[in-house]
Amino acid sequence: MAKDIDISSSEAKFLIDSLKQGFRFDSRGFEEFRDVGIEFGKDFGDVTVTVGRTKVHCRISCSIAQPYEDRPFEGLFYISTESSPMAGPQFENGNNTGEDEVLCSRIIEKAVRRSGALDVEGLCIVAGSKCWAVRADVHFLNCDGGFIDVSCIAVMCGLLHFRKPDVTVAGEQITVHSLDEREPVPLGVLHIPICVTFSFFNPEDAEENIKGDLNNEICLIDATLKEELLRDGTLTVTLNKNREVVQVSKAGGLPMDALMLMDCCHKAYKITETLTDQITSELKRDADSRNQFAAMLSSENARVS
Amino acid sequence: MLSAQVGVLDQVDGSCKLQCGETSVICSVTGPVEPKARQELPSQLALEIVVRPCRGVPSTREKMLEDQIRGVVTPILARYMYPRQLAQICCQVLESGEPEEQYSGKELSACINAVFLALVDAGIGLLASVSCVCLAITGDNEQIQINPSQANLIKSTSTHVLALQLGAGAKKVENVLLLESYGAFDEESMLQVLHSGEMACMETALELRKVIEHKIREDFIWR
Amino acid sequence: MSRLEIYSPEGLRVDGRRWNELRRLECSINTHTSASDGSSYLEQGNNKIITLVNGPQEPKLRSQMSIQKATISVAINITRFSKMERSKTSHRNERRVLEMQTALVRTFEKNVQLHLYPRTQIDIQIHVLQQDGGLMGSLINGITLALIDAGIAMYDYISGVSVGLYDTTPLLDLNSVEESSMSSVTLGVVGKSEKLSLLLVEDKIPLDRMESVLAIGIAGSHRIRELMDRELRKHGRKRLSNVSSNN
Repeated sequence: MAKDIDISSSEAKFLIDSLKQGFRFDSRGFEEFRDVGIEFGKDFGDVTVTVGRTKVHCRISCSIAQPYEDRPFEGLFYISTESSPMAGPQFENGNNTGEDEVLCSRIIEKAVRRSGALDVEGLCIVAGSKCWAVRADVHFLNCDGGFIDVSCIAVMCGLLHFRKPDVTVAGEQITVHSLDEREPVPLGVLHIPICVTFSFFNPEDAEENIKGDLNNEICLIDATLKEELLRDGTLTVTLNKNREVVQVSKAGGLPMDALMLMDCCHKAYKITETLTDQITSELKRDADSRNQFAAMLSSENARVS
Repeated sequence: MLSAQVGVLDQVDGSCKLQCGETSVICSVTGPVEPKARQELPSQLALEIVVRPCRGVPSTREKMLEDQIRGVVTPILARYMYPRQLAQICCQVLESGEPEEQYSGKELSACINAVFLALVDAGIGLLASVSCVCLAITGDNEQIQINPSQANLIKSTSTHVLALQLGAGAKKVENVLLLESYGAFDEESMLQVLHSGEMACMETALELRKVIEHKIREDFIWR
Repeated sequence: MSRLEIYSPEGLRVDGRRWNELRRLECSINTHTSASDGSSYLEQGNNKIITLVNGPQEPKLRSQMSIQKATISVAINITRFSKMERSKTSHRNERRVLEMQTALVRTFEKNVQLHLYPRTQIDIQIHVLQQDGGLMGSLINGITLALIDAGIAMYDYISGVSVGLYDTTPLLDLNSVEESSMSSVTLGVVGKSEKLSLLLVEDKIPLDRMESVLAIGIAGSHRIRELMDRELRKHGRKRLSNVSSNN
């Protein structure tokens, strides 16, 4: 991303030299993910995720639509990741044909939509004629690297947080119950994919990278904007807690040893585990705060075990 | 009712997150920067205004909002100070607070206030300050609601958005920059709206000034 | 339609191959001499691909020029008749194709010695005449051949292949029937090394199976490199004999 920003050559050299000596500008370790902040809005499906200074807002909404003719039992699910100049002057409004924008939206699409993270069959209301169309609108607010990782977290939190209105079906007649009338129903989320992006830097020259056996390429997790601008290659691994690789994308860039890439996948799994736990605990906290009277209304006794 | 923080984004020159009742928007200003050749105006600052909806893709509704914001912002900007330059103004609606298919008043008023604060934050020269309120007339006794809630908005017979240009420390009304009215209303209620809108705008302007004052106090804490 | 047996208990696949066998790979270079500076025609199973390389040449747009190195552009033309069913759209500007183009540019950017050709542009045009699974890998092979034919300096070959995972068995070089019924991995391997320039996984694969999939993929890519190398050397010898017989 961020093509039009130029970084001065002295700063670039300083950054690379620091990396060679094992330091990052923000004093993080090479394999350390920045702190993830998840904030839920008042409405269901309104999430703001911050990772370092990167900030992404995601809004899930739904409407009733007609399913595709060839898939009468499935609802619709769109993810829109359009950029705007808000995230930085390098982004053009509504232009999503840039190389990085395409890669970003394709990876999120593969990670979330094609991996079946959302149960689209659960969105069917009347087979062949009515279904829910769920939309995830991702808004990039502030850009400091790692848009793919943050957007993926935001979309997944949004889907897990969202509630769609309850419907009753009587023949062809359907009734949508407003939120006050009936408790809205959560979406069927089948697994939580988490994207982890690695950035590669080549400390030696190009020949050593290709011909040599040193394999001392530098590998960073969760790069900041400056690191993204200077990196030689990138790898995005998407995993879920069931030890499944959902998607891997290393679209060219610095050639890397296969074993190192495997190692990256294993590192990504550790991050996936912690992030998944964080997402579920944040969601639980939000659910509890929404339901203050649950304890009062519950018939459960406080048991002493 | 109204709360705002400025300087919330760091990739842009000025930004503001503004919450007004149920509506919340975030606005960014980048500029003055070098424009593309087709945007360039030889004698003044060019404006690129983008409004992005909370859900769905931008449509004609957002285009209309963009145009209305342009109409309000253009006269108060010191445009001739920045010839052949560009200011990008980008508003992202985070919470609409109104049924989007029928209404846009609350979003519009929140956007205009947010744009004003973001412009101040960006340090772009302004000729005057601006403040904006949304009003709705409800019921048979024609009660005027200032910044109505979603429920009142739906019940209302007409909605109005008023943006005023203010001077002398937000104590004097200099101009009406925008008055958008939808629904059925008569002359008398129109004047009523203008009257109470003026009061509300002054109040809002004071709130906005407080935000700026606070920001200046924070920024110059070292003094 | 009867259910196809993707991998029989005897260890045979739909087209009669075993799990670690490649499809027939035939290639030739210098096929379009008047249309381009370098060209190749590649058949990998039923994939049939023409690749044309033009350049290094003057960039068409000033803005695309870099004073340090050459720029690469890749344009993929997937013909409407490339699949069994004629497609209604030309695939140009499809997000999937844009993604493939970007991935190919980025793969070859690091393998072509671009710094030798500053202020120039290398245009790569690909025409997919027929496709039958594992397209991305075939595209990589086609480009490698065409770049070599154009005489553009590269560090090494890049050879590409796709590998699928059927239950627990990795299957090398998938065709489209296999590709649609299992998850697949596409690799782009640099020369005889174990370095991956490109790695794409598009569907779910258990993390613990990845290693075996990569291993067979790398072995398959090395084999493809050998096949391409053999063809290139044959072509070289033929040219050399032409030159010497003329003298």
